[in-house]
Amino acid sequence: MALVDVQRFSKHYPRVIALDDCSFQVERGEVFGLLGPNGAGKTTLIRLLLGYLRPTSGAARIDGFDCERQSVDVRRRTSYLPGEARLFRQMRGHEALDFFTRVRPGGESERSRRFAERLDLDLTRPVAAMSTGMRQKLALAAALAADTPLVILDEPTANLDPTVRAEVGRLVKEAREAGRTVMFSSHVLSEVEEVCDRVVILRAGRLVHEQPMEPLRKRHRIRAQVDGELPSLPPSLAEQVTIERRESRDVVLETAGDLAPLLGWLATLPLRDVAIEPAGLRAIYERFHGGTSSVRRQESS
Amino acid sequence: MNAALWRKCVREARWLLLACVAAVYAFCWVRVWMVSRLDTQRFEAILELLPGEWKKFTVVEMDWLITYAGRISLAFDEPIVVFGMSIWAIARGSDCVSGELNRGTLEMLLAQPLSRLQIITHQAIVTMIGVVCIAAASWAGTWTGIQATTIKEEVRPTWSLPFSMPGLGREVSRPWAARETRYTRMSEKVESHIFVPAAVNLMSLGTFLAGVSTLVSACDRYRWRTIGIVVGAYVVQTIFKLVGMAADNWRWLTYLSIFTPYEPEAGVHLAMTAPDLTWSIVKYDAAGQWTGLGPLGADLILIGGGVVAYIAAAIVFQRRDLPAPL
Repeated sequence: MALVDVQRFSKHYPRVIALDDCSFQVERGEVFGLLGPNGAGKTTLIRLLLGYLRPTSGAARIDGFDCERQSVDVRRRTSYLPGEARLFRQMRGHEALDFFTRVRPGGESERSRRFAERLDLDLTRPVAAMSTGMRQKLALAAALAADTPLVILDEPTANLDPTVRAEVGRLVKEAREAGRTVMFSSHVLSEVEEVCDRVVILRAGRLVHEQPMEPLRKRHRIRAQVDGELPSLPPSLAEQVTIERRESRDVVLETAGDLAPLLGWLATLPLRDVAIEPAGLRAIYERFHGGTSSVRRQESS
Repeated sequence: MNAALWRKCVREARWLLLACVAAVYAFCWVRVWMVSRLDTQRFEAILELLPGEWKKFTVVEMDWLITYAGRISLAFDEPIVVFGMSIWAIARGSDCVSGELNRGTLEMLLAQPLSRLQIITHQAIVTMIGVVCIAAASWAGTWTGIQATTIKEEVRPTWSLPFSMPGLGREVSRPWAARETRYTRMSEKVESHIFVPAAVNLMSLGTFLAGVSTLVSACDRYRWRTIGIVVGAYVVQTIFKLVGMAADNWRWLTYLSIFTPYEPEAGVHLAMTAPDLTWSIVKYDAAGQWTGLGPLGADLILIGGGVVAYIAAAIVFQRRDLPAPL
């Protein structure tokens, strides 16, 4: 049974459709990415799963519990880091961590302190005197320290420096290795590519694409300039290679499999300035959000 | 009950509670001392000069109001005492939902396995403990004042008779003798327990304000707006009471004001003059006709209003969508 099962989830406001007919499943032990620009519906989806919002239609279950009617059971099995974590300003760092540990049955202070250490946090500081990045790290330590089967991270690396971002990536991978499931929402495609096993792309509240990452990691893009006409692809490569773009002398080829046969064919062509790169998530993402930022009103109303 | 949530609520509230308790306790003590500085008899002359219209603004007889007990009872109507309670109740009530939403901390709080009912209940219990503490501080301050204060009185010397005369007793005043100064303990003039109904009335007012503030907070997302709405309603209610008392044809306005059941001096008056009626729900005259609410009846209206508002707040909070922090 999938850990997260979302069926035709929708959230409509009087003048805004925040999420529309969204269905997907997240398997146990998977790192699942949510991609989309601001207002695409990522945060609304997460807030619906946690019971902050009531769905207009559809249903979702986490570990068999209904997200709307059994929200406390759902949150007992879920730890969540909001996009911009706001913590209790009158507490010190260690007091805030202790609070999040003790508020959950079976929480371990030592575990949360270990996470804080890895994130290079000064726990003696009052939360009110912490920078946005430090508060984000504190909330991240609290979220990861909770011993739950599901971790939902909504833009966890926003406001963090590059060193800590890399550490977050490592922590997510460790969570997966420990058998936990992670839902990871981010704008940073490289991060999603690095840690996720599967991503979904949201646009204007609709789930428009689902992409497993393993095949994508084998895809490569070859850019080059060609003098004269580009000959037709040999039949042996026709299934593996697509000519993505051809403008005057520029040519872009995409391949899904082993590069060796393609390179052999390319060597016979009059090519210049050849560059080979992983195709990556960007190409997929740009199919749905290329060049536009469909900014919609967030569900703040 | 969740111990961590309980500690968080206490931690957030403790300094405000301490300030309100200290202010109310100290003021009530000082207020008794101030009463002791002015001889009651001097008020009689002032009272005679006041136009009859003034009597409309009191719920007890003016003659009783100038006694030591009457003047001490007015401490519960003083702005410091009423505002001390109001500030606590409105500040805590407004913080319950819209305060946490406004600061963005509700997001992290509700990410934990806590129900919305648990969150509002913990907040409500801490607020109500504070309400009880402030009301207790008002009585404790009054008690301390009564125990610690000495009254300076100018009285005519008396003769002590070897027998008791009907209507005069053993002490008979010497009307032609010069007045002499005498010091008496306030506790010999006024009993502390008669102020308990006033403190309970103050607690009831706090319960009502806390409940209403929590209800507005449960519907709103900005704490400043919650406080604005409650304070606005508070001012309107005060105006209703004043206008209703001042003009006979606007008397019906007093029934719309929450300050009508808040009449602490009436409770003290009854505790002193008719102890049997101290905790009455309704009052009747000698002919058995209903004459109004007793002190307990007024308290129950305020407490009932507060409890209903708390229940409504819990229902609204359970059902509403929680907006993302801005």
